Amino acid sequence: MRPFELVVPRSLAEASSMAGKGVVYKAAGIDLLDRLKERVEAPEKIVNLLGFRAELARIERSGSTVRIGALATLTQVAEAEVLRGGGFGALLESAGEAATPQVRNRATVGGNLLQQNRCWYFRQAAFGCAHNGRGPGCLAQEGQNRYHAILGQDDCMRVHPSNVAPALQALGASVIVQGGKGERTLPLAELYPKAPDARGAEHTLQPDEILTAIVVPVPGADVRSAYRESREKLSFDWATTAAAVRLAVADGKVRECAIVLGAVAAIPWVAAEAAQSLIGKEPSRANFEAAAKLAFAGARPLAQNAYKVPVGQATLADALEAAARR
Amino acid sequence: MRHPPEDGTPPTFSRRAFLKGASAAAVTGTVPGALPTAPSGPTSYAPGSHAITLSVNGGERRLEVEPRTTLLDALRDRLDLTGAKKICDRGACGGCTVELDGIAVNSCMVLAIDAVGMKVTTIEGLAPGEALHPLQEEFVHCDALQCGFCTPGFVMAAHACLNKHKNPDRATIQHELSGNLCRCGTYGRVFEAVERAAGRKG
Repeated sequence: MRPFELVVPRSLAEASSMAGKGVVYKAAGIDLLDRLKERVEAPEKIVNLLGFRAELARIERSGSTVRIGALATLTQVAEAEVLRGGGFGALLESAGEAATPQVRNRATVGGNLLQQNRCWYFRQAAFGCAHNGRGPGCLAQEGQNRYHAILGQDDCMRVHPSNVAPALQALGASVIVQGGKGERTLPLAELYPKAPDARGAEHTLQPDEILTAIVVPVPGADVRSAYRESREKLSFDWATTAAAVRLAVADGKVRECAIVLGAVAAIPWVAAEAAQSLIGKEPSRANFEAAAKLAFAGARPLAQNAYKVPVGQATLADALEAAARR
Repeated sequence: MRHPPEDGTPPTFSRRAFLKGASAAAVTGTVPGALPTAPSGPTSYAPGSHAITLSVNGGERRLEVEPRTTLLDALRDRLDLTGAKKICDRGACGGCTVELDGIAVNSCMVLAIDAVGMKVTTIEGLAPGEALHPLQEEFVHCDALQCGFCTPGFVMAAHACLNKHKNPDRATIQHELSGNLCRCGTYGRVFEAVERAAGRKG
């Protein structure tokens, strides 16, 4: 790590006012320290938000929503009493299986949503690409692309690395951000670019905006959700494909469905058509597999990641089945 | 006084001896603390050394760190607590596991300054003096190590697991220890040792 100044702001407004060139915000720093150690980033100043943990790590229900402070750890989310019950299943599973116990004990949910992608070309000082600003194109396009995107790629093959983003998005979550102009709330989907490309940022926050909370609507009594992911190892690994689903079944037919895929596109990938195709159908394995086929119909695999299509389909069908059985 | 370069420049003599000498020198030198950038401004730690106090294994330890110093480097290079191992230095192996307020974390992914005000427990603090903690005794009894390099991390992760679960079953132990890697493959005996220690505790 190169030397930097570490500043401890006394208020969020003060933190926001510190934005500028060479300045980055830090929560627990799990993702940031990794990038600093790899020397792919060398900020002059790091604004430490961890001091706001007392206010910004609470997980509380108020009325028909649960508000999750952005500094709550993944462990706190996975073990939160107010999130018990089938409706939040996808969130509990995604937070509880991410990374390792040690990382979950430290990593914040806000940091998980805003972490940078894990493309090995993007994250190594030795490689320059259009996305890290040190090269002209995408090295993964023709290079080692086993873990890269199969859906919606433009000129950058990165995939979104967050476990909890697909789950929160499937549950209809919003995020609250605070900036110099005050606070605003936006749907989680809008935290990420609509058309992610190489030169654009991985999130849509303004430089002076800080993610402070995630607001999740409490699912209805008949709503179930689940999260499943495929990995090369049983634990301690990044997902190769992931699926978060929300499902409501009434009178033996699917009444409501949302599907958001992880690790297959540069943003959490909404499979709206596949979700819609299940409405009015029986929650059977055959129907789930048909919907999963549809979710990956537009896939354009690279040389080394065609496996993600059948594996992703199976992961999604498993997630749908797990939700239906809750 | 400067810390040794982090760019891998080989020291001309023992790194630890050098650091011991350096920290002894620091006691007599002026030790600037964190200074507010303005009379009523936010606290700022400029690049360079700062004196902080960490609560480690029940004692208050004063030491010098840079803003970029990780808790792991502070423990090993400043406080001579070399039980926590620097293996991957990326939070991917668990060898550096310590407890912060009783919860297992990767000390390589925590800035030392962020640990101020929290209770740090390292493998050296599990049992007083030469005595062994029951977990350590069971690791010995089960022969739960080969080269032993990952062992301090495993013992700390297991300790945090037993803080959290009174009587964990095998699946719970496996889940709680899933952040630790052992390249010798002693997992089975590690799980056995933790089960036995849990039984003694219960």
